[in-house]
Amino acid sequence: MVQLQFLGRTGTVIDDLLNDFLAETAEILADAGGALVAWEADPTDRAQLDAIFRLVHTIKGSSGFLALPRVTALSHAAEDALDQVRRGNRTANAALVTRVLAIIDRLHTLCTALGRGGFEPSGDDGDVIAALAEQDSPSDTGYDVAGVPLRRDDDFQSELQSWRSIRVPLPLLDSVMTGVTDIVLARNEFARMLRESGASPTVIASFDRLSDSIAGMRQSVSQMRMQRIDKLFAPLPRIVRDLAQDMGKKIAFQTSGGEVELDREMMENIRDPLIHIVRNAIDHGIEALEDRVAAGKDITATISVSARQSGNQIEIEIRDDGRGISPDALVAKAIASRAITAAEARTLSAKDKLELVFRPGFSTAAKVTEVSGRGVGMDIVKANVEKIGGVVELRNDEGRGLTILLRVPMTLTIISGLMVRAAGQYFAIPRGAVREILLENGDTVRIDRVGGGELATVRGEQYPLLRLETVLGREASDDDDVDDRALVIVRPGQGQSYALSVAAIHDHEELVIKPAAPMIMATGLYAGTTLPDNGRPVLLLDVQGLVAAAAIDATETGRNHDQMAAAEAQANAARNAAQLLLFRDTNGRVRGVRLSVIERVEEIPASALFESAGHVQAQIGDEIFPVHTANLPEAEGSLKLLRLFDGQSVLCYPIAEVIDIVRLPDAVQPSAAPGLIAGVVLVSGEPVELIDPFWLMAQYAALDGDAAPNQPLCRLADDDDGWGSNFLAPILRNAGYRVVSGDDAADEAPDVLLCLTEDGASCAHVGDEIPVIRLRSAVAAAGPDDETVYRYDRQALLDALARRVGGGRA
Amino acid sequence: MEKLYLIARIADTRVALRSRAINSVVTVGIPVEVPGAPPHVAGLFALRSRVFTLIDPHVVIGLPPVPVASGQRVIVVDVADHGYALLADAIEDVCFIEAPETRVAGKLLPGWARVADGMIEHQGASLLVVDPSHFITLPVMKAA
Repeated sequence: MVQLQFLGRTGTVIDDLLNDFLAETAEILADAGGALVAWEADPTDRAQLDAIFRLVHTIKGSSGFLALPRVTALSHAAEDALDQVRRGNRTANAALVTRVLAIIDRLHTLCTALGRGGFEPSGDDGDVIAALAEQDSPSDTGYDVAGVPLRRDDDFQSELQSWRSIRVPLPLLDSVMTGVTDIVLARNEFARMLRESGASPTVIASFDRLSDSIAGMRQSVSQMRMQRIDKLFAPLPRIVRDLAQDMGKKIAFQTSGGEVELDREMMENIRDPLIHIVRNAIDHGIEALEDRVAAGKDITATISVSARQSGNQIEIEIRDDGRGISPDALVAKAIASRAITAAEARTLSAKDKLELVFRPGFSTAAKVTEVSGRGVGMDIVKANVEKIGGVVELRNDEGRGLTILLRVPMTLTIISGLMVRAAGQYFAIPRGAVREILLENGDTVRIDRVGGGELATVRGEQYPLLRLETVLGREASDDDDVDDRALVIVRPGQGQSYALSVAAIHDHEELVIKPAAPMIMATGLYAGTTLPDNGRPVLLLDVQGLVAAAAIDATETGRNHDQMAAAEAQANAARNAAQLLLFRDTNGRVRGVRLSVIERVEEIPASALFESAGHVQAQIGDEIFPVHTANLPEAEGSLKLLRLFDGQSVLCYPIAEVIDIVRLPDAVQPSAAPGLIAGVVLVSGEPVELIDPFWLMAQYAALDGDAAPNQPLCRLADDDDGWGSNFLAPILRNAGYRVVSGDDAADEAPDVLLCLTEDGASCAHVGDEIPVIRLRSAVAAAGPDDETVYRYDRQALLDALARRVGGGRA
Repeated sequence: MEKLYLIARIADTRVALRSRAINSVVTVGIPVEVPGAPPHVAGLFALRSRVFTLIDPHVVIGLPPVPVASGQRVIVVDVADHGYALLADAIEDVCFIEAPETRVAGKLLPGWARVADGMIEHQGASLLVVDPSHFITLPVMKAA
């Protein structure tokens, strides 16, 4: 389950951040010490002063983020003093420099302690801060520069080591990577020669050992460029906090999957898109507080960012539970801004409408705010992600939230490729674009020639067929075996697919991709070159470019429409059916109920609950619904209700809080007897009681205020003490009767009249057309002809009613 | 270094190439073809884990392409961060030429005129001084 963190950070992130801060600060302090001394030598050197000010300011900034109060206070004091000098309020002199240096020394001591212990030691820095704040006295002029306790370089060296990380320039890493690749290629060459020369087993054994360590080294070098994605997530909590505060929204922010690793170059490329999406979610996605309440949502919105690795791709999911995107509003805006015409709009599918968001200059915000909605938006995000070979996907649940999925390759340079053969040579296809591989003469494949073009039909789905040899302008090689010919179903992008026919499938391997020479890239057929282990270059096919080169229409729209729509609907249905809402019951138990029966979650004031006819009811808006609870809540304030809806009636179920929505586990341990709890399931290893909505609804079905008019109407007469409405009415309603009391103006003739008193004064005038049941308070009947019914004999009463009206549910 | 030249025979013509423009001279095996590429691209080959694009100077000059023989020597050059190799018919010598480069005198074939920077006198013969980077791009193709 997702680890909940309210604007907090995990320990490992803080460690990484702290290490970075320490490494950075060590450098800054070293620079600042030198700069201060240089500035002291020439106090008029404004540039030097500005440089020092910036350095101190940087420390202050980063320490504030890491919650290091002592470091912040110290750097603030130094910054303050330097600022005064910059403004001309204070003159630079030796005394000032000493005091600033004293602060720098103290910072140093603190950082060393931080590096060792991982936390800021407690202590008082009032002495150095006060000294700095102190204005100059004449005695300070005799200050000796040689006494400045400058740090020596080797001090920094040892301290940096103790922080156990170093910073290496990227070009150096790249050159190590190239070197290792060279070694691998040389090894392969050497291995071939060894095999051919028939070397002795001892030579081969020691070569194998060398070979293994080279493989290990290659692995480590690739990892050197990888960084935990935590680093990318680290600034987000702060952004969310600040923005949420500015906009008066309550947001719980969660991250998960921070341990996933990503090439640092990729990281740079998705940083801005990610921040943009999160800001968008806060600004446009999450509704204002009152709108959330009105929509029956939890006031505190949730934004979660999670990363996971899937193959050699990284999926980053940004999910919010805000209002989602309204496709129709998008279309309306697109028409208004003349991006599309109304005629075009009518032909758009639901998905196409959503894709409008990616149009350049398109903003979904109803009004332009400071944060976003300036027309620079999702199109930039999409372009940035696609530039690095990634994909942006939207999963919109209008009214309930939006999920944006960024799928990017793990590294820019290494991809998993499928090696295929055509025209006697090998080509690579990015594995990520391959959906399926089939033998061309297999049973599931049918190839038709249609008007000069070819069409492949695979299990009822049609794809335009491209023969790789034809696209490349080559002849099929004579060496090819017809039985080897294979179809690769390629999905070059969203909503596009085609079948690529190749002479044979070779294998797939991890490939280091380099851009090809410009004139080769210009053909549009290739995305780069790669060197597999055999040392012969292989061209990586541009699966999108092939479509253009072959001049085919690879879009899926309009083809196999029904099947796809049906499949989508099925998938949706499966998703809905299988979800479980986890909540904490008012008695503290964790329980679950199928999400599909929940209409919404209401938050209402406790005063909206009232007791009527022996049952607790809730007034929500203009309507009144039964509440599944024995007692009125004692506490004031608000409470949350799950609104269960069976298609006809609503029942409210009070809860303490919503916990999560999870997939309903397949294994349910059913409870022995029917009741509130249908069974127990295990969610994340914890038992969860599953509410039985069927049973619940059955309990309250008859209480529904909107009883069908064909239910018999039962009128209570002479109900002077309220016994009828308090005691009798619930039973009658339960039994399927509508009940009115004697005082109500009767527009409708009752089907049966219940006289609650034996003398029946007011029942006397009733004509014969309405059957009458008289109730008596004595247990025993007055005689054999006594047709009255003892008022606490529930069964006799219901039987009597049933006889009189021939209806009811009893 | 200024005066160091590589004397080679490319596209049936003896030329001098300034050595600072040249990365190395190596032999290649059979290159990998690039279907769909411009005609002067003779293929790809790998050298020290880099992929190089092999250029056939014959085509750049306007002659018919020649097949690449295994073990043929090529002149490796770097142009705009990409590695290329020019097919050479023969590599003759690397030598210092003290004589100054002179302006091209006389009329050259259009193909050669585009790649030649000047001329230089060496051992009693006039050699064209060519810039290898001019071989990388093709002149605008005439309609065949």
